Amino acid sequence: MRVAVTGTPGTGKTTATELVETDLEVVHLNDAIREEELHDGADEERGSLYANFDAIRQWLDEQGDGGDDLLVDSHLAHHFDAEKVVVLRCHPEELRERLLERGETDAKAEENAESEALDVILSESVAEHGTESVYEIDTTDRAPDAVASDIEAVIEGEREPSAGTVDYLEYL
Amino acid sequence: MSDNDETWGIAHVHASFNNTIITITDLTGAETVAKSSGGSVVKQNRDESSPYAAMQMAETVAEEVKAAGIDGLHIRVRGPGGNLQQNPGPGAQATIRALARAGIEIGRIEDVTPIPHDGTRAPKGSGF
Ligand SMILES: Nc1ncnc2c1ncn2[C@@H]1O[C@H](COP(=O)(O)OP(=O)(O)O)[C@@H](O)[C@H]1O
Ligand SMILES: [Mg+2]
Repeated sequence: MRVAVTGTPGTGKTTATELVETDLEVVHLNDAIREEELHDGADEERGSLYANFDAIRQWLDEQGDGGDDLLVDSHLAHHFDAEKVVVLRCHPEELRERLLERGETDAKAEENAESEALDVILSESVAEHGTESVYEIDTTDRAPDAVASDIEAVIEGEREPSAGTVDYLEYL
Repeated sequence: MSDNDETWGIAHVHASFNNTIITITDLTGAETVAKSSGGSVVKQNRDESSPYAAMQMAETVAEEVKAAGIDGLHIRVRGPGGNLQQNPGPGAQATIRALARAGIEIGRIEDVTPIPHDGTRAPKGSGF
């Protein structure tokens, strides 16, 4: 089984997936994109590498058990094949603070907070995988190990699909 | 009437998975002329981002816009809406159609949806 863990940068994907107890191989896609050069240069304005989806798809197929048995951590993970798609959510105010604390610029924190307020990644996930494969988890005011347990529940089949459980639009 | 005699404003359409908010401002963005959100026109939460809600909102907003003496609107759409098959999403399209039907001139339509990014981002045009 391949499980995607997506969500706006700052929702806590990397922190949570490091705590998840699972037999799946955990893949932090950002590291691979940088180290294996699965990109087409940088968006200079945003200081961000343009992911090469074809190269990533091919690379993912070579991980784990022939591309299977993976837990993929990335805000791009929903763009690739997956049986289940976990979408981490976080209130934009808190997301902004988390990103600033992580040392990101104001501009980066704000554009990601607005993306989160507009449900950009949730909408993409539902459009690409359908509501029956999406599992939304609100991480606002929740500890990383609680979020990790929720991800484990999705992997174990102990959680029902969900989408549209939060509305952060008033942030704008 | 020549273009110079017309008063223009901006319709800011925020379309998320769950909801649509329409805010009409003057050209500077400083003064709000009218505002409506999906929650004000439909009962069920899940309908707040529907094209139907957007149309209802746009019809109400259009009357306030005309009362304020605005003839035309530029549209700034932010957000994917509840359905990404079309760009702009159905909420935004329904808004634009309803405003036009109410007799408001439609100017530039701009998509200013933010891009989630950290050290990496999706390629250009992979969005919707
Ligand atoms: N559940 C949480 N509650 C509060 N802060 C968190 C939580 N999860 C992560 N963080 C902090 O927020 C920042 C972003 O977390 P990170 O795991 O890097 O997010 P992502 O991988 O989704 O971009 C980090 O500084 C991290 O320490
Ligand atoms: Mg990360």
